[in-house]
Amino acid sequence: MTTEGPSSSSSCNLAILDSLTDDSIRQIHDSYTGFCATTATLLTGAGDLSVGPEFIAHVHSLCHHGLHSLVRDHFLKSLEEIFEQNGASKFWRHFDAYTKFALLSKNQPPICESEVQEVLCKALEEISLEKQYQEKCLLMLSHALQSYKDQMSEGRHPSDAERSHLFSRYQLLVSSVLMASLPRHFPEILHWYFKGRLEELSTIMGGEFDDDESQDKDEMDLDEKSKISYRTGEMDIDECSHQGRFLENNKLVKNIGKVVRDLRSLGFTSMTEDAYSSAIFLLLKAKVHDLAGDDYRSSVLESIKGWIQAVPLQFFRALLAYLGDSVSYDSPSSGLKSPLASHPSSCYPGIDTPSQGLVRWQLRLEYFAYETLQDLRIAKLFEIIVDYPDSSPAIEDLKQCLEYTGQHSKLVESFISALQYRLLTAGASTNDILHQYVSTIKALRTIDPAGVFLEAVGEPIRDYLRGRKDTIKCIVTMLTDGTGGNPNVSGNAGDSLLEELNRDEESQENTGVDDDFITDDKQAWINAACWEPDPVEADPSKGSRNRRKVDILGMIVGIIGSKDQLVNEYRVMLAEKLLNKFDYDIDSEIRTLELLKIHFGESSMQKCEIMLNDLIDSKRTNSNIKATIAQTPLTGAEPGESAVSMDILDATIISSNFWPPIQDENLNVPEPVDNLLSDYAKRFNEIKTPRKLLWKKNLGTVKLELQFEDRAVQFTVAPVHAAIIMQFQDQTSWTSKNLAAAIGLPVDVLNRRINFWISKGILAESLGADSNDNVFTLMEGMVETNKNGGNSGSCEEILVGDDEGERSVASVEDQIRKEMTIYEKFIMGMLTNFGNMALDRIHNTLKMFCVADPPYDKSLQQLQSFLSGLVSEEKLELRDGMYFMKK
Amino acid sequence: MNNSIIYTFAIIHCCQLSSFAGLTKQGKDESQDFTWHTVASWTWDSQDETCGICRMAFDGCCPDCKLPGDDCPLIWGTCNHAFHLHCILKWVNSQSSQAHCPMCRREWQFKE
Repeated sequence: MTTEGPSSSSSCNLAILDSLTDDSIRQIHDSYTGFCATTATLLTGAGDLSVGPEFIAHVHSLCHHGLHSLVRDHFLKSLEEIFEQNGASKFWRHFDAYTKFALLSKNQPPICESEVQEVLCKALEEISLEKQYQEKCLLMLSHALQSYKDQMSEGRHPSDAERSHLFSRYQLLVSSVLMASLPRHFPEILHWYFKGRLEELSTIMGGEFDDDESQDKDEMDLDEKSKISYRTGEMDIDECSHQGRFLENNKLVKNIGKVVRDLRSLGFTSMTEDAYSSAIFLLLKAKVHDLAGDDYRSSVLESIKGWIQAVPLQFFRALLAYLGDSVSYDSPSSGLKSPLASHPSSCYPGIDTPSQGLVRWQLRLEYFAYETLQDLRIAKLFEIIVDYPDSSPAIEDLKQCLEYTGQHSKLVESFISALQYRLLTAGASTNDILHQYVSTIKALRTIDPAGVFLEAVGEPIRDYLRGRKDTIKCIVTMLTDGTGGNPNVSGNAGDSLLEELNRDEESQENTGVDDDFITDDKQAWINAACWEPDPVEADPSKGSRNRRKVDILGMIVGIIGSKDQLVNEYRVMLAEKLLNKFDYDIDSEIRTLELLKIHFGESSMQKCEIMLNDLIDSKRTNSNIKATIAQTPLTGAEPGESAVSMDILDATIISSNFWPPIQDENLNVPEPVDNLLSDYAKRFNEIKTPRKLLWKKNLGTVKLELQFEDRAVQFTVAPVHAAIIMQFQDQTSWTSKNLAAAIGLPVDVLNRRINFWISKGILAESLGADSNDNVFTLMEGMVETNKNGGNSGSCEEILVGDDEGERSVASVEDQIRKEMTIYEKFIMGMLTNFGNMALDRIHNTLKMFCVADPPYDKSLQQLQSFLSGLVSEEKLELRDGMYFMKK
Repeated sequence: MNNSIIYTFAIIHCCQLSSFAGLTKQGKDESQDFTWHTVASWTWDSQDETCGICRMAFDGCCPDCKLPGDDCPLIWGTCNHAFHLHCILKWVNSQSSQAHCPMCRREWQFKE
């Protein structure tokens, strides 16, 4: 012991050893032993400060010999030992019970949450008490040292540098002791503690948050009733209850604040912060999920923000206000002062202006909320877009979130994978894909008006649609939806592209104004000022945002590649529709055509226009012809048959050059009708010399009524069906051969066509003498009663749909096939010369050599489908992507 | 024929039938009971298919016209050659002296 003193100070000044006398050595020794003893009593003696003066005297005497550092070191070392024994180990022992469950159930809240709270509070209280006591001792030492120094320097150094140095060392000591012995599950416990408390707080605050809204409503109601006198009274009550709740909150916050402060003073600052921030984020996440849910019909962003204001920020405000300046944990007074005494304002949170810390927290929380909501919405973006017009609030939310977080690429990636997985599969109908595509365009246009991300998202859909055969047909159906397309094909009403055409028309008018040369410098300056750079994700090869105006029709047409194909398909569809028209009412078609003309240009719609014009002309000619007949009945008509008036006949007269190829099929119409037709043609020839009519007897529609004994049934059928049934007028039973001959159809075609009447129960088929010469018989009085059994005598209108490809116009594929057959010889020749060729080589060779009449203008896909047709006809062979001649 | 089935369209009984129909049904106008809407295409009654001047189909129209038919008629010369009216007029007007038929070189006279 004796050697310890001098040696420890030897580093300071060796010369001092020389000046040491025996006397002074003894004195030092005495003082030191006395100091050690008093230190021990002071530290272990619970609250007994009676040895204080003695302790101070010893310190002074040791200091007198220049042994400051020895005093300090020894004292701190003893403090550490004792703290380790009494404080830390005891503190940790409190939590031993939770080791297991904390490790086992990371995600499950402890069953005994309140117990954890209690234990934590108790443990903290205990250790704080211990610490406070030790700090008191430390204060005594520092006082002693200070007073000695003051004596020496006579008050020239009033600084408390000594003291703060001492305390910081002590603080370090405490936290290092605790950290060194930290059990692994402690952060977990803290986390659960804060979570529990915050949930409690949230329920209280949340109730208040909700109540506030309902209160507002109540007040409004009261306003309406103008019960002003009552209102003031109720307001008071409200105030009271408000106050009550507030106090409750305050108590809770104070409790938490106390725990936080204790933890901080023990050096757990960052761990505490981690614990409560993770708890808050957890809570916020749960809240966002709870609020957002699967309902896309309402915007949730505002209410989430409101909640952030109401609950977590309120909590932080209270907490920060409560902790006040003691945030800096190394302030030595923090443990000693009563928080209430030092910060009286803490009772009224919200009074002080938001501190920087609070603002930072708010930003953090909001960012987190935005991100959570964004992730939630992005994950469900597919569903959101499926019910797009209804889900626009959710889209709007997502837009705001993305503006804040800037994670657009996340959206693109996740949405594309959702598309691949859910939409672009063989099971989805082309129509659905197109509808989804349109909705996607509309929705993403809201999020990103520049269309940069739309470009990325649309790409896979477009690629996929290009591979589908019926894409063009579906698009055209969508375009003409409003004009009564096939109701089975057209999806939900309302998202037809027709309205898009309309809107497009308007927008084109607007852009017309925009594109005008800007003479006004001011306007130019304004335009320049609102320029914004493209988002960083923009593809530089796609041009600037000005050119990339989001145009739904343009994007749809972009799928197909060229508008010509679209126009062609539209023409076929229009022809089909016009040929099956009963009257000459084409107003809606004219409207659609006008809109399409605006979009695709007049010249490409020329043929369609002629088709419509034909209809208009036909109407005029038709009435004209009928008028002349009414005036001068044809001399050839026999008087008995004059009753078969021309009234029953209407004709659509077409300019066949401008219509798509029409399927011609021979048909012998019943004689009376045939007479009418030739009559009609004669009249036409008279009126419009030198033009004549060529009948297409298989086209058109016939309305007829079958009268049975007990009832009449109306049908609207194709001419061929009418011709068939009319044959049964005189003869109730026909063999198929005879019937076919009478009508002028091949037997197999007849057999197919006659199925219509069989399915209606009008005719019956039975085996004839010859195996392939069946007998058809008229059903007497309708065996089939389930159809119309109850209301006999009523008439029934049955519209016959086009079944089994019974179309009047050749489809586009057929046309292309027909056009391609010209090249068959070329291809065969090439393959005989070269042996084998790949698809694109054939394509290129054709392009190179077939320049003259008709030039080769087919696409690679068209060639491919033609070649695969040849393969299936066993003319060619396809091996490893090479085409061979079939041997 | 046991009179069990009667067809409205039956031309021979048309009168009778339509009165039947009028009796049995709720007074709809009878002309609707049977109507035949058919389709025909018109064509110019000429031997040739295309106009010798513009090489366009007669059933189409000359290069200056948009609508075929009445708006772009054919015209025959006394030589029985037909052209689009607009085409031959252009030709006739471009000739300083007497115009000739572009096909047969005979003097061009419009056929009455």
